[in-house]
Amino acid sequence: MKRSTRLSTPNLIAGSRRNFLIKGGLTTAAALTGMPAMLFSMNSEARAEGEPIPVGQCGPTTDFAAPDGIEFKNGLTLACEEINALGGILGRPLEPSFEDTAQMGDATNVQAAQRLVDRYGVHAILNGYNIGSGAAIQEVAADNGIIYVHYDTTIGHNDLVKSNPDRYWGSFQGDPAEYWYGPGFLKFLQDLEANKEWTRPNNKMAVILSAGVYASNIANAVKEQAAAYGWEISLFETVGVPASEWGPTLAKIRQDPPAVICVTHFLPADLAQFCVQFAPNPTPSLIYMQYGPSIPAFRDIAKEAANGIIYATVVGALQDEIGTAFEKRYKDRFGANAGHNSGAQPYDGAYVWATAAALAGGSGEPGNADQNRKVAQRMSAMIWRGVTGTTRFMPLENAAYTYPTQTNDSSLGMPHQFLQIQDFTKGPGLIAPAPYGTAKFVMPPWIKA
Amino acid sequence: MTDVLIQIVASGLTLGAMYAVATVGLSLVYGSLNMLNMAHGAVLTLGGYVCYAAMTLAGLPAVLAFAVAAAVCAAAGLAIYFAAALPLLRSGNFETNIFIATIGIGSVIENLMLKTFGPYPIPQPLAVPGHLIVGGVHIPYQNLFILGVALALMAAVAVLLQRTRTGRAIRATSMNRDAAQLMGVRVGKVYAQVLALSGALAAVSGIMISSIATLTPVMGGDPMLKAFIVCVVAGLGNVYGAVVAAILLGLIEAGTQYVFGVRWSFAILLLIVIVVLIWRPYGLFGRQQVVRL
Repeated sequence: MKRSTRLSTPNLIAGSRRNFLIKGGLTTAAALTGMPAMLFSMNSEARAEGEPIPVGQCGPTTDFAAPDGIEFKNGLTLACEEINALGGILGRPLEPSFEDTAQMGDATNVQAAQRLVDRYGVHAILNGYNIGSGAAIQEVAADNGIIYVHYDTTIGHNDLVKSNPDRYWGSFQGDPAEYWYGPGFLKFLQDLEANKEWTRPNNKMAVILSAGVYASNIANAVKEQAAAYGWEISLFETVGVPASEWGPTLAKIRQDPPAVICVTHFLPADLAQFCVQFAPNPTPSLIYMQYGPSIPAFRDIAKEAANGIIYATVVGALQDEIGTAFEKRYKDRFGANAGHNSGAQPYDGAYVWATAAALAGGSGEPGNADQNRKVAQRMSAMIWRGVTGTTRFMPLENAAYTYPTQTNDSSLGMPHQFLQIQDFTKGPGLIAPAPYGTAKFVMPPWIKA
Repeated sequence: MTDVLIQIVASGLTLGAMYAVATVGLSLVYGSLNMLNMAHGAVLTLGGYVCYAAMTLAGLPAVLAFAVAAAVCAAAGLAIYFAAALPLLRSGNFETNIFIATIGIGSVIENLMLKTFGPYPIPQPLAVPGHLIVGGVHIPYQNLFILGVALALMAAVAVLLQRTRTGRAIRATSMNRDAAQLMGVRVGKVYAQVLALSGALAAVSGIMISSIATLTPVMGGDPMLKAFIVCVVAGLGNVYGAVVAAILLGLIEAGTQYVFGVRWSFAILLLIVIVVLIWRPYGLFGRQQVVRL
């Protein structure tokens, strides 16, 4: 495979790094800002011209999750280009390969991961997410002694690694488990009330989920802890996928209007239809959704009905200096409509791994578990400030901490972001957590009315 | 409670209409050719995307975009005939072979859509705005439009099959392919006509369904599955029965979603299929003899 030799602007905050890197205008990494400076300083004057290091990604580039799968591919592509521009890993450039996981069943995921090892000899698998058990590709990584970084966002990963750290030392979940959506959401509501930004009209909460580990785990986490925050679950409804006709579910909601509607189903088109069908006859309820509203198509479909919707993500590009600079580079590279929030996941994962590998003296090919164990140890010890915030791994679970639910120090956990669509023609406002917020919560128009 | 009932009926009719428009083309092909076209869902998707492209990229008015989509999907139907049906007709075990072949064709079409239009959901621009308020329930005109289109398609297919020379040839082929051929019916031409017609019908279905459910490269999968269930309940190949069964099943589905919860609706739908097949093995409107239309 021919490797792209294009140099990209790396993940740096300011200045003309391209000129700096290409022309060698400066000689010390001290002039760089941002975490990639660390990688650059280790590479010293090295240019990425040595023997390439194969890395891989198996993600859903076709089928229903293709919108994300394609962005995952873009995210790793951009990261590799930038890392290579910084000198690769101690002078060895990264060469990415990709395998499709389509509907993401465990069997498909494992086969795709194994193909990356067999066909390309990858030193690391740097994924976005695959919907499945979230505990299958770890077996491939363990059997081959390589590093696996993913964003499956599942508590299954934490449980698996905890169950046998000696086997799963090389598997890392770059973001917090989906479980944290539950307590994080309840805390967010509590803060809204404490700040007198919103008052609940009653204690009822409707929870709408789809059948699937991800949506179910979040819904169950909300259900389990709701009472502790003074909530009563008035409706717990599982919908089929796809869900374009919401009439019967909305009829139940309208019969017994809750203060909050929490939708953990995540497909953007379905969620947009929910908003469209809710809008003509709304109940005075806050609407919280999962993930789908972060896809621009959600706003395109729901239009005015999207205004006021709150959604959250435990991993997404921040709207700060680092995050917005990344967004610009990403869209310059992949087009104005590219979804940088999904691409940010393997992007950060690749940087964490590459930096750790450089610190460890290089990465190991399949079978070289000794070297890759050193890489894993560096990853575990690292606190990485990337485009999605801070990545710091929990010991023995190898999954990122979440802020503010798990740690109250914003520099030690990945921010659980709450966003609100306030004008469907524009991007959403990041309304929590501090200090990352860029907008204030606005009462949804149907409640105002 | 009246509002709830109206809502359930409205949702049921919407679901039923969506199933019905998806079912007509599938049922026609099975009824006349004994061919289960597994690419029907993908052709339906193609129709939705072509209409979108014709309106937004080429700037065509809605009626023309509709016609372009139908023409492109009719051509896709013809392509299926020449690429798969015609060669396989000459071999034995046609029904099984064409079933597998059309799964592959469907997959190719889906991936072409993915490459051409990208993976993100896109709203279908061809939609009827506004809604009707009945007893406090908002019923979008779009949903009523889809119901009307489903009934119109059923009537059009009925006229074609019963009142035209082409329809007579199709019916003759469906009753006995060999006998029809011996009587001078050009069976190959009938297959080509039916697949082209089915493609055009799929385009209409795709436009209608995507106006509610949005355009994605995999949007055809669910309507295809539901259409197949409707076909089985109605009696495979029974076009009129399929439309009636689709609306009935839509109403039952909406009712079960409200009473038992959405999670049970699909399971109950399949349970109904099992009961119907035990009670009437050839479907609600099917006949024991091999006269499907």
